[in-house]
Amino acid sequence: MRTILTAICIFSFGITSTFADDPPKVRVEICEGGLTEKQEWPKDAPAATERFDAIAFGFFHVPFKYIDTGVRADRSIPFLLRASAEITLPAGKHRILLRARGATKLWIDGEVLLTTPFVPVLTDGHSPIPTNYLDLGPDFRYAPPGNRERWTTFASTGKTHRIMLETIVGGKRGNGIMRSELGETVAAISLAGSETFHLIAPSMKVAYTDAGWKVYEVAETARLKAIEAERRKKAFAKHGDEWARRRAEAKRWLDKQPPIAVPSLSKGMPAHNAIDHFLAAKIEDAFVLGDKFKGGVDYHAEVKPILQAKCFSCHQGDKVKGKLRLDDLVSAQRGGASKTPAIVPGQPEKSELIARLIATEAMEKMPPQGPGLTAIEIDTLRKWIRGGASYDPAGLKRRPLPGLADDLTFLRRATLDTIGVLPTPSEIDAFIADVRVDKRARVIDKLLDDPRWADHWVSYWQDVLAENPNILNPTLNNTGPFRWWIHEAMLDNKPMDLFVTELVRMRGSHSYGGPAGFAMASQNDAPFAEKGVIIASAFLGVQMKCARCHDAPGHKSTQKDLFSIAAMLNEAPLAVPVTSSVPIDKIHGKDRKPLITVSLKPGTKVAPAWPFALTSKADAGKSRDDLAQRITDVRNERFAQVIANRVWKRLMGVGIVEPVDDWEKGQPTHPELLTWLGREVASNGYDMKQLARLILNSHAYQRVADPMHKDADPYHIAHVPRRLTAEQIVDSLFHAVGRPMNTEEVSLDVDGARDIKNSISMGKPHRSWMFASTSNERDRPSLSLPRVQAVIDVLEAFGWRPSRPSPLTDRDVSPNVLQPALLANGVVGTWLTRLSDEHGITELALRSQSPEELVDRLFLRVYTRKLSVDERASLAEHLRPGFAERIVKSPVIVPVKRMPPRYISWSNHLMPEASEIKIQLEAAARRGDPPTPRLTREWRERMEDVIWATLNSPEMIFTR
Amino acid sequence: MPDFTNPFRRQILAGVAGSLAASMLPAHANLPSPRGRVEHCIFIWLGGGMAQVDTFDPKRVGQPMQRVAGSAYRSIPTAVTGVRVTEYLPRLAERMDRVTAIRSIHHNVVDEHAAATLRVHTGRATTGTISYPSIGSIIAHERGACTDGVPAYVLIGYPNVSRGPGFLGPRVGYVYLTDTTAGPAGLTRPADISTERHANREYLLQQLRQPNGRSIAVQAYDQAIGESLRLSGPQFLRAFQLEEEAPALRERFGGEFGQRCLLARRLVERGVRFIEVSHNLNFINGTGWDTHNEGQLNQHLLIRELDMAVAGLIDDLEQRQLLDRTLIAIGTEFGRPSSFDTRGGRAHQAAAFSLVLAGGGLRHRGAYGATDDLCQRITQNPVSIPDFHATIYRALNIDPAKNLYDGSRPVPITDGGRPIAELFA
Repeated sequence: MRTILTAICIFSFGITSTFADDPPKVRVEICEGGLTEKQEWPKDAPAATERFDAIAFGFFHVPFKYIDTGVRADRSIPFLLRASAEITLPAGKHRILLRARGATKLWIDGEVLLTTPFVPVLTDGHSPIPTNYLDLGPDFRYAPPGNRERWTTFASTGKTHRIMLETIVGGKRGNGIMRSELGETVAAISLAGSETFHLIAPSMKVAYTDAGWKVYEVAETARLKAIEAERRKKAFAKHGDEWARRRAEAKRWLDKQPPIAVPSLSKGMPAHNAIDHFLAAKIEDAFVLGDKFKGGVDYHAEVKPILQAKCFSCHQGDKVKGKLRLDDLVSAQRGGASKTPAIVPGQPEKSELIARLIATEAMEKMPPQGPGLTAIEIDTLRKWIRGGASYDPAGLKRRPLPGLADDLTFLRRATLDTIGVLPTPSEIDAFIADVRVDKRARVIDKLLDDPRWADHWVSYWQDVLAENPNILNPTLNNTGPFRWWIHEAMLDNKPMDLFVTELVRMRGSHSYGGPAGFAMASQNDAPFAEKGVIIASAFLGVQMKCARCHDAPGHKSTQKDLFSIAAMLNEAPLAVPVTSSVPIDKIHGKDRKPLITVSLKPGTKVAPAWPFALTSKADAGKSRDDLAQRITDVRNERFAQVIANRVWKRLMGVGIVEPVDDWEKGQPTHPELLTWLGREVASNGYDMKQLARLILNSHAYQRVADPMHKDADPYHIAHVPRRLTAEQIVDSLFHAVGRPMNTEEVSLDVDGARDIKNSISMGKPHRSWMFASTSNERDRPSLSLPRVQAVIDVLEAFGWRPSRPSPLTDRDVSPNVLQPALLANGVVGTWLTRLSDEHGITELALRSQSPEELVDRLFLRVYTRKLSVDERASLAEHLRPGFAERIVKSPVIVPVKRMPPRYISWSNHLMPEASEIKIQLEAAARRGDPPTPRLTREWRERMEDVIWATLNSPEMIFTR
Repeated sequence: MPDFTNPFRRQILAGVAGSLAASMLPAHANLPSPRGRVEHCIFIWLGGGMAQVDTFDPKRVGQPMQRVAGSAYRSIPTAVTGVRVTEYLPRLAERMDRVTAIRSIHHNVVDEHAAATLRVHTGRATTGTISYPSIGSIIAHERGACTDGVPAYVLIGYPNVSRGPGFLGPRVGYVYLTDTTAGPAGLTRPADISTERHANREYLLQQLRQPNGRSIAVQAYDQAIGESLRLSGPQFLRAFQLEEEAPALRERFGGEFGQRCLLARRLVERGVRFIEVSHNLNFINGTGWDTHNEGQLNQHLLIRELDMAVAGLIDDLEQRQLLDRTLIAIGTEFGRPSSFDTRGGRAHQAAAFSLVLAGGGLRHRGAYGATDDLCQRITQNPVSIPDFHATIYRALNIDPAKNLYDGSRPVPITDGGRPIAELFA
């Protein structure tokens, strides 16, 4: 509490003294009952169902209420917010302003002083673009969209008054339910003789101006978030015993298991912890093989990739087509159902594999669909068979392992991998200054404690769990915005078994970010089948997407398996819809046996059941709870291993099992390590940070990069530079130059006129995960969000998905021409390079003593390294002309003209002016921020060019 | 090499030519053999849902305010005997011998624009297991750009999910611009960056790009930087200098939408494969083509603009001998009923509506398919969205039954779509 208060005091300027410990507050009550659905005030005062304190009569968000183990819940709509405080006013005639989205009454000493009306009828596009704003002073803050406002004067004799504000939040209108949002619900006062308004507050003085509100909003948001965190903690505490019992039971089971032996370290191998022991053992084995390898075609490096791409989807693992396996020599020599050996070592001409690859008849050729093998690929296989078709690895050439990366390289890598952005100059300085031997372990701890850890992980789970909200008329297989639940779960570092349990229960808020939003799948007639696919691939490494409509050639899971899970999620038997099938006439060709079978007729009812051969138990009784228990039960070691493998891949570049979401298709490269890591996860209570700590501290993670490795190295001998994710790139760019994102609110209904089912707001983003598609399928300029779109353009080019109808673990990271183009010439590129008064490098440019110092600092911010002599020389040279005279002595500061906002929302977007207003906003976005007047234009442009070059070099978007 | 292994196609083969080896047959055995020779496609998008009864499938004249169902305007004869269009399409009427209005299009998404827009762009319903690519991305994927140094797929309109590459990935996404005066996002140098300044920037970047011990991934990205510098250079961007065209020609195309069509022609000349041109200027009548309520009042202005621009485009392409190599398609998410709503506008209708093809060397016939008296039902030659797509793919020499791959999962380019055979005779 103390720190937050300090933050408030910074903008508490002037008359009122600051209170050291407990200043008087505004008491806020939330009343959920006692209101009708009609637009009318209740006859009796509704009773409070929740209470919290506020700093001032300035409301924009009510802290969420939390149910179960701490998930956001919806309140009844409408609800009432009542705020009251004792306020001492100086004697005199003061102006009072009331502004609010819902119907509001402001009382002073038991008398109603001001009211605002119920939300007026707003149309689907033809409502006026407001012009009738109050303007009560030279620094008066104009009303933001969707508020009503009134003012009056009030004479005080200088005594203490009892002030109360009541507002009805959300409500029903026609068939629609309005979102329960406050807009900007404010009571403000302008004291006699003053032009400026301040929020009415018992102890703090907060100017109700644009600048004052901005600061207030930041500090108040932090305070409300803290209240919410506290509420989550309390909610969980009610289930604390139950989870403690689960942990204890898990521990008993774990204690009974024979321990996984950590291999002893081979000579000369470096190690920080057990992970390095496991890795070193595997490397040593490979060295031994390498010592023996006599040359020829290497199965793992040359043959396996070909089979993987073209053959393994049907001929690998336990479930294979034609009973033929190609992933081990014994099976391949035995052949499949036809008993013809697929491979005869030494004799490619007698190997059926080669015969089928070169066959042209439709009945014979392999693969039966899709592009065949190239001549070069077939030749490689021939040579390999001729040489004996050895599946033994060629091993590795013996060599010393690379050492640790230097401190700055390590810091950049670890910071990006934990909090998703680059280290700041002060973080860099602190790390350089630290001389303790365990400084890396310490900085890892610090990074894991950083709340931005949550930002970094939300994007990952958004992809894996197919979070897919839409700001307008959800129809594209959309979900609710459960990103906010993911964020809070990561913020609280919720154990992963609890995370899965909350997700599978699908309770809480639907439209405001509870896991209930996961249950939704608009225009999808088998939503729970889809959720079953997501859950199985996310947490069990079982890929069931094909089973949605048919049994697949390469996967064991059948349609029935998937619909059994779907029925568990449905908590009742579920019928297979017609659309979840493949019509029989589309399957049966007359020549070959079909690859797929439809084993469930549409309409078949499937009962809830756990379909996997994974050991676990459940006794909850309700089938969703049963499913959650089955997945997360400690006996189901697969779950902990899948989590371990996911975190491992994100930090180490390649999974121990690949693909991470489809274990049927891959073998673990380090089976003992995987089991060991899974046990670690389970015995640490499924704590993701604990797992990350282990990996980040390993010698393997911290090793120097080997630039010639193209793909991730499964031995983890060296670090392989990784391209940053779309989110890391965008967040790091804004972060490195210190410019706020400053986009529009992600919403097409900024005045809150529409039904909550059709329009939601995702707020103003400050991290990339907060964006969503702009949903302008209507192609109307008046529905564009030019600033949001500018950021999305960059995110999308680098692989972020504006729509996530299906789960995804591995994104396409291949380069394309739009990536560098958008950074170089795009709107975001302009924002990042223009030295405005809001840009972080402007201050640096003003303060630096020499061009060299300036480029040194810039390099640290962007690349986290020192410049080479050449780089330093050429960049500093560019900045030298005009450097001494760069600071404008008395800059002409053109005051920003205050203009009433002409906002466009769904309610007025069809008005004739709407498109023009948006087109002007788009042009303004493209122009970028006004340049700072404090630097001479000539030199400023030079500096901007240096920033541009620095941000556009490939080094920016890779780890080292 | 065309792919002949798709089960859907095999089904068709089975009935027609049992004994012939599969590889000797054209992709669609029920089609005569000549393949499409089209090199480019200009896909005009009428966002909101074009009322077919007020444009390409006129019916008896109704009375909007009295709610008597029918067309809002009179119809006129066209260059094709027996084919009539609305009086606000006089220029296209004269050119209907190079146009086919397919009057028997149908799908089943009526309630929401986004879902219907996705349907018409991807030819698929949304499912939870896959993100389908748009027709533009598929064509970019299959045929690439016609020449080096230009993008395969340019969008003149707002970016959205329907137009995106889906599982084919960002490489076959679009380059877009929202306004012909703005230039394409990412390729157009910001207005305040002079040529000299840009040269400085490139020089500085060159210093930082110097590789020492770079990984292969970094080198690949560095190569993309080189390509992007070329693409944002004067050679390609000159395409966007509409002022190079004769003023009389520019006038013939009309307002911003016409200028977009003119730009599309310039992009065709430079080798862009697929250009989507959006007619999205909703300030003309308030609602664009989504003519509910009062949106109907000035709908004729939109129709006139369409008439002028598309007629201008046909003439211009023809004059440059590009019309046979360029297929013009007019898409919209659904049509509208012949009945009127309470304020004289129209609701949505997906069960029967019109999409249009022009040029592309097809055997045009003015109109194909038919609907009943008030355009409530299709009475002749129904054409599904997959069929419509298959016709476009066929014209561009892409096998509509070929499989694309989402990982290991085969996904046919169209969902069983069959080209309209009569247009290829």
